[in-house]
Amino acid sequence: MTGALHAALAALEAVPLASIGEILTDLADLETLVGIGLDGLSKFGIYVTIAAGLSLIFGLMGVLNFAHGSLTMLGAYLGGAFMLFFVSSATGDVVTIVFFFCTMALVFAIVTGLGAVLEIGVIRPIYDRPPLFQILLTFGIVLVLDEVVRIVLELEGIQSSTDWQAARGTRPDEILGFHEVFGISIRAIYQFQTIVGILVVVATWWFLTRTRYGLHIRAGSEDGEMAQALGIDVRRSFTVVFGVGAGLAALAGVMLMWDPRYGASVPLGVETLLIAFVVVIIGGLGSFKGTVVAAAIVGLVDALMSWLFVNHVDFAGLPELVMFLVLVLVLVARPQGLYGVEEVGGH
Amino acid sequence: MSSDGDPGAGSGDDHDGAGSDRFGGKGEVLRQTLADHAVHIAVIAVFAVYPLLYTWLTGTGIGTELDVVLPRTRTMVAVLYVGLFAISFDFISGYTGYLSFGHALFYGIGAYFVALTVNGKVPFLAETTPLLLMIVLAGLLAAVVALAIGAVSFRLTGVYFAMITLGFAEVGHVFIRNWDYVGSNPRDGIGFFTGVDIGLPDWWLLPGWNVTIGQIVGDEFTNVLGTGIDLSKADVSFYAIGIVVLVCYFLMQRIIHSPYGRVMIAIRENEERARAVGYNTFRYKMGAFAISGFFGAVAGGLFAGYKRSVSPENSFDLFVTADALLAAIIGGFGTLAGPLYGILFQDVLEGILSTDPHGLARYLRENLPSSILEAGLGDATVLEGINVLLDGRAGLYLGIVFILFVLYVPHGILGTLRNRLGGTVAEQLPARLRRYVGRD
Repeated sequence: MTGALHAALAALEAVPLASIGEILTDLADLETLVGIGLDGLSKFGIYVTIAAGLSLIFGLMGVLNFAHGSLTMLGAYLGGAFMLFFVSSATGDVVTIVFFFCTMALVFAIVTGLGAVLEIGVIRPIYDRPPLFQILLTFGIVLVLDEVVRIVLELEGIQSSTDWQAARGTRPDEILGFHEVFGISIRAIYQFQTIVGILVVVATWWFLTRTRYGLHIRAGSEDGEMAQALGIDVRRSFTVVFGVGAGLAALAGVMLMWDPRYGASVPLGVETLLIAFVVVIIGGLGSFKGTVVAAAIVGLVDALMSWLFVNHVDFAGLPELVMFLVLVLVLVARPQGLYGVEEVGGH
Repeated sequence: MSSDGDPGAGSGDDHDGAGSDRFGGKGEVLRQTLADHAVHIAVIAVFAVYPLLYTWLTGTGIGTELDVVLPRTRTMVAVLYVGLFAISFDFISGYTGYLSFGHALFYGIGAYFVALTVNGKVPFLAETTPLLLMIVLAGLLAAVVALAIGAVSFRLTGVYFAMITLGFAEVGHVFIRNWDYVGSNPRDGIGFFTGVDIGLPDWWLLPGWNVTIGQIVGDEFTNVLGTGIDLSKADVSFYAIGIVVLVCYFLMQRIIHSPYGRVMIAIRENEERARAVGYNTFRYKMGAFAISGFFGAVAGGLFAGYKRSVSPENSFDLFVTADALLAAIIGGFGTLAGPLYGILFQDVLEGILSTDPHGLARYLRENLPSSILEAGLGDATVLEGINVLLDGRAGLYLGIVFILFVLYVPHGILGTLRNRLGGTVAEQLPARLRRYVGRD
């Protein structure tokens, strides 16, 4: 708390009180607002994609999957590898984007399979243990997965701690580079991410509400025993959900591989994991709607704080710091999160 | 975890009851105390002779081989302070059941407090403040922070508690990475060149025993007290830090064995019942968290004092908490001493698989005949296998061991041992030995 307080004070020192008026005047400008809004939407797209799988897994299974970020990292590398395989310098931009969606589908399929194997192999034996053990076990998966990826990268001669530039180089900058919109220069890759994010939300929503498995999942998270009594194979739904959740994590990775602010690297795992936690907990563990709303809130706050940092506040960690402060504030005011149910997952 | 997690509970009470007639005279008290602490004394003795043993063993005929397996004294210093950190983590997480996932925050506070003080950046504290005073002050600061965080976080339980403490720690992490008071490039952290004095300062009645510790720069002694034993810089730091860690361990153990500790265990086993019985569990949790934060910061302070360099990544990071978590699970969750063995295991493994000259990979490369090194299947040779699978790969095997422990040995090394013996090792082992020998 003192750390937070100190930080707030440091931030305040950097913003002389008199300039708050100045900030507001600066903000009351259409171009600025549109810029922040677009940035916020792009961040929403990223955050909702990162967090969707985590939310899904916790919603049904009550398992807080610490390996989520590592799966995102794995997805980024797999995506990069596929794109480098498909795309050469001669490939046209539109074709590249088509390949990108093919890559997404492929990576989703592969990591969904991996997730299912993990669930059956190591997570299933510990459902009857205290929730602590699920955190511990998935954390163990992080250690192993990260190291395996490092080994493969070393064999391929790729730096594991810095962004994989070759994979990022497959980005078609004719389409996804800088464009003038409303008189502001924006990178189209960010709007592309917004679209991907919305697609992920729609697809997940459809999966949850319009398919038989979605029905089983919702029934299982409402009352697992009752669902089982009615003949639903809850165990199999668990495997499917864990797989799909892992697949969604990997999708986010494929998307971030092109992003100039993220890129494929091993530290990407922890970075995205923390964001995913913040979003899912603010939204309420186990509520998909909450996750979507929280991703929008966090995205907007992040965009606003990034703008503040660039223009007014001399503190580089401001967006991240405020993000965690929002998390703390939400947990203080509403411990179960915005849309969370207090007893979800038996905690 | 389970109800038999700390079987010491029952036997401790019996022991107290029987004490009145057992403790006949003064000599008897001493004998009994020694018997009760025989295992402690044995462990301390092993630690105490380790640096000398290491020097002796690596000088023998199979010295090169032993050097691969045995941790160096330098590594053992890290075992001590990281061990203390893991013990402080176990104190709150293992005994009350509240997983403090942001425990690195306290470690970081301790580390930065010492590093900033030595750099003269902490108001009212001289740069030459003795380390003991620094770590106590850092500990108190951390305890206050723990109380502030606890006041908010203990309204939550389970996963939510773990997450909010992680959130607070990340606030600290982001803050320290960008706080330019630390230095011109806060992401690189802060360091100092001189060693720090550890020991009792020369004030008022205090005797002023003192040594300087620190990697590379600390004191060293030759021919100590005419015994012909030389103490290297690492040895001096090892003993000085070892004494502090030992005192901290016994303080925490005392608390765990007191009625206060019993309530902490009651909270872990069934908090509602503990509350129903009439305990103000919130106050107990707050107290336990503050104590845990205090010792976490002490560990961080010792780390900074020895390493002379701290950065956000080796103090406030999530993976620092992870070290404690791994150690606690492997050593035994809720056993207090277990995490020290967990860290020992971890560091020995890391030492064997390290890329340093004394690591296994280097040893194999230099000592295996080239016919074996170049043999292999297809493109892959044994040499490549060594480079890829052994050289600096401790994380992989540690992860696998960790998963296996979580799945099959949930009580950890010490916890399983206690369950087998039916009590804490310190209590049960001497009794068993006596039965074996036929006395008593």
